[in-house]
Amino acid sequence: MPEKRRFPYGREVQVPKEMEGWEEMYPAHRLFSTERQEWEDNQFWYADKIHAPDPMVPLDEVFHQAWQIALSQYTTRVFCIPPAQGVAQRMLGCYMYICAIAPPPENVIREKAELFPKRVFPVFDNYQELWDQWLNRQQKLGQELKSLKIPKELPRYVPDFDSRTTVPDVTPAQDLLEAFNNAVNIIYRAWHYHFAYLNVTYLAYLMFTDVAHKLFPGISESAIGKMVAGAEVSMFRPEEELCRLSRLAYGHPRVANILKSDRPAARKIESLREFDDGLMWLESMDEIKDPWFYVSCGSGWFHYEGSWINKLDVPFSYIKGYLERLDRGERIERSLEAMSTAREAMINDYRKLIKSGEDRQSFDDAFRNTRTIYRYAEDHLFWVEHWFHTIWFEKMREFGNVFVKHGVLKDTEDFFMFNRLEIPYLIEDLTTSWALGENIPTLKWSEKAAKRKKILEAASKWQAPPALGVPPEVVAEPFTVMLWGVTTERVNDWLDGAVPKTGEVNEIKGFASSAGCIEGKARVLKLLDEITTLEQDEIMVVPNTNPAWAPVFSKIKAAVTDIGGITSHAAIVCREYGVPSVTGTGRATQLIKTGDWVQVDGDRGIVTILKRKNGSA
Amino acid sequence: MAYVLGFEKVSKASLQTVGGKNASLGEMLKAGIRVPPGFAITTDSYLELITAAGIAGEIQDILAPVNPDDVASLDDASARIQTLIANAPLPPAIARAVEEHYCRLCEQCCVDDLPVAVRSSATAEDLPNASFAGQQDTYLWIKGIDSVNQMAQKCWASLFTARAISYRMKMNFPHDKVLISVGVQKMVNSRTSGVMFTINPLNGDPSKVVVEGSWGFGEAVVSGAVTPDKYVVDKVCNEVNERTISTKVIECVYEPGEGVVHRDVPSDRQTIPCLENRELMELVRVARLIEDHYERPMDIEWAIDRDLSFPDNVFIVQSRPETIWSQKKDDAPKLGRKNSYELLMEKALNPVRINR
Repeated sequence: MPEKRRFPYGREVQVPKEMEGWEEMYPAHRLFSTERQEWEDNQFWYADKIHAPDPMVPLDEVFHQAWQIALSQYTTRVFCIPPAQGVAQRMLGCYMYICAIAPPPENVIREKAELFPKRVFPVFDNYQELWDQWLNRQQKLGQELKSLKIPKELPRYVPDFDSRTTVPDVTPAQDLLEAFNNAVNIIYRAWHYHFAYLNVTYLAYLMFTDVAHKLFPGISESAIGKMVAGAEVSMFRPEEELCRLSRLAYGHPRVANILKSDRPAARKIESLREFDDGLMWLESMDEIKDPWFYVSCGSGWFHYEGSWINKLDVPFSYIKGYLERLDRGERIERSLEAMSTAREAMINDYRKLIKSGEDRQSFDDAFRNTRTIYRYAEDHLFWVEHWFHTIWFEKMREFGNVFVKHGVLKDTEDFFMFNRLEIPYLIEDLTTSWALGENIPTLKWSEKAAKRKKILEAASKWQAPPALGVPPEVVAEPFTVMLWGVTTERVNDWLDGAVPKTGEVNEIKGFASSAGCIEGKARVLKLLDEITTLEQDEIMVVPNTNPAWAPVFSKIKAAVTDIGGITSHAAIVCREYGVPSVTGTGRATQLIKTGDWVQVDGDRGIVTILKRKNGSA
Repeated sequence: MAYVLGFEKVSKASLQTVGGKNASLGEMLKAGIRVPPGFAITTDSYLELITAAGIAGEIQDILAPVNPDDVASLDDASARIQTLIANAPLPPAIARAVEEHYCRLCEQCCVDDLPVAVRSSATAEDLPNASFAGQQDTYLWIKGIDSVNQMAQKCWASLFTARAISYRMKMNFPHDKVLISVGVQKMVNSRTSGVMFTINPLNGDPSKVVVEGSWGFGEAVVSGAVTPDKYVVDKVCNEVNERTISTKVIECVYEPGEGVVHRDVPSDRQTIPCLENRELMELVRVARLIEDHYERPMDIEWAIDRDLSFPDNVFIVQSRPETIWSQKKDDAPKLGRKNSYELLMEKALNPVRINR
């Protein structure tokens, strides 16, 4: 028998010399190891280009560590989806590989099949109340993280205390350690919350997809997405708030004129402070900043992306744009009512096409249930990846500042170069040096940070293999297909060829997220800061988008993203604006260069580079 | 009483005066379905012609002794009656009415001596076993008022082909109960033409319109000389799910003096889509109207005219019930009655497969 076609095993992969030492950045249990070689060799691993497209920054890896446990257990131990198991992770050369575990033995499937209906069905019946509970709990947890007290420094001497009546308390050294441990506990908890209903939501979506395919064999994912995706979800609030603030400013010409000027946000705020209307407007903005400006300028997964709250130039540039549109007499708000009417009409048109009355009833039932819960897929995203992560990053910078203050690190951002299990060492090293007295050296953490930055840079130039190990016969894990889009075709494409080098690939596949086929000039934006370079009618190529990007959709001809399925933010907004889009391409931002002439086929999910800027085709 | 009626003025109610074909064109216009413009010469014109020429009695006399099983006697009677009708002088009132409508049509299309199709439209043809009204004629690419009038009279005469006479006699259907009207309709000067189905005939997906088209007249596609461009469009959300552009090497076009001829498609046009996006979307919109109108999946012939501009150039030439998929009689429920929990359980138990 010929040997099965396979990818290299994790242990066989060689990384470039410049990346030497990469293993130190990640906890040992997250690497491929000889101790688990047999099991690891038998799994099929693929690079998670959705959540970890860039080399993994050690502290940012904490979210992944948390989700490996959280995602998996809600499938295996909580809601007990019968044949499904969890998703395992491994780090290899600074990239994260994941693997959906094969189904458990028959007797386990039978046990879970008993539990599944008892635990899952009531969720649908009571989702509204459960969601309110969920949100309440999540918001409380966020407030807890926000109010965590982190010492600003380790003072030369602790403040005076009444030593007649008071036993001395612990010192800021202990506060620092406890605060960090608490922060880690909280972020892990938040990631548990993240998955409370996500597995069930995706399962419902896949169920509805099956139903739709049986009734309409050729129905597109994009059409299904249009049916179930809601517009009145938390993810869209930040944009709505910007529209509201723009309208408010529009009614006060002096405020509007300042906001329309080309100065940086900080200068605008200074000017607005000088008069009553300006103060009123600022107050109105401050009222909604938490939570609605706690939105990442990227995916929310990386500390360097920043959020509106700490990059005010971003929301201010949108407000400027909105005010200009208001001046031209345009409408800036999306009409939720019109959108919802249009969606109802669309559903009704589909159901009218179903001939059998029984089928129609089953369709109605399936649709109702899916719609009830589907908003979770978009709501949780705001409250975890955006709101919560923004708070987390801000807090981590507070820790970083302490290390900079004491000269252990050169830059606040260097704090992110250490993983969450190493940071207690850093804290202990710093606090020990402080406790011991004057001029006690710490380890050279700053040099270590510098070395790691070099490794990460080298890793970003390295072409990691798309997958490792032996492709499986059966994948039972609902996230794999839904979120990562790992299909037969994709796996075979990977098997068929070594991944071609950037510059040789002219066709990039992704999800057909918003229909239409159009050609135009590409504009690659790695970060939201670069958005000012975008010109009218260009094709936007981005890692992914979120509501922070919303105002650009009326400007572009098409959108291409690295990350995101057919219900991603970019997909939803593109369909709304009638702009073709291909999402989840994995590496469009690497393969396409600004100025390339590209065709975006949102009907088939293919982006073609027709002519490169440097002339080759 | 009117001798001539524009298609926009006729409907099912006018079946007795304009015949089945013309009436259905009027119905389509009323439903918002664009068909090539034109007019009907009514059965009243036919009766007036027979009456004015005083040939009604003579026709009856010729028919009386005919033996429907005797081919020679049928042929003889047919020839004599057809000559009578074709040569009868056209009453001036009718001639005026036809000329008026024809000239208006030429103006509307901005073409002098506009080529038209002249077809008979019998009042009995849409009855069950309808073919008995006969093998009436269709004359294509007719230009100028004199030719139009001449062909109209030929159409009337075609009520008395040997086959039609014999059929009516065998079915005991009185000859004078079947009247005939004539339709005069702009010849579509097809830049692009093709067919579309309001269901995907390959898998029965009712949410799709499948459009196939190529340059020129439909003959090139029908004869298999050309692989058409193919589009599959979701008719609810108007997404194009599939767009296959073929290399179209041959097209049928109308050459004055020669008629419809095959010719090579210039290389620069071979691989470009034969439909603009807005034309495709207009076709899909109309396909939905037609399906709603007939309340069943339909098979539709369409054409994009060279002489008119969008959207007036998007024409429906013919529509009939879809048969490829519909004949499979696959009416069994696809899901059956299941509540969402049953469906969810089914999904939860069924692993997602990666087939290799």
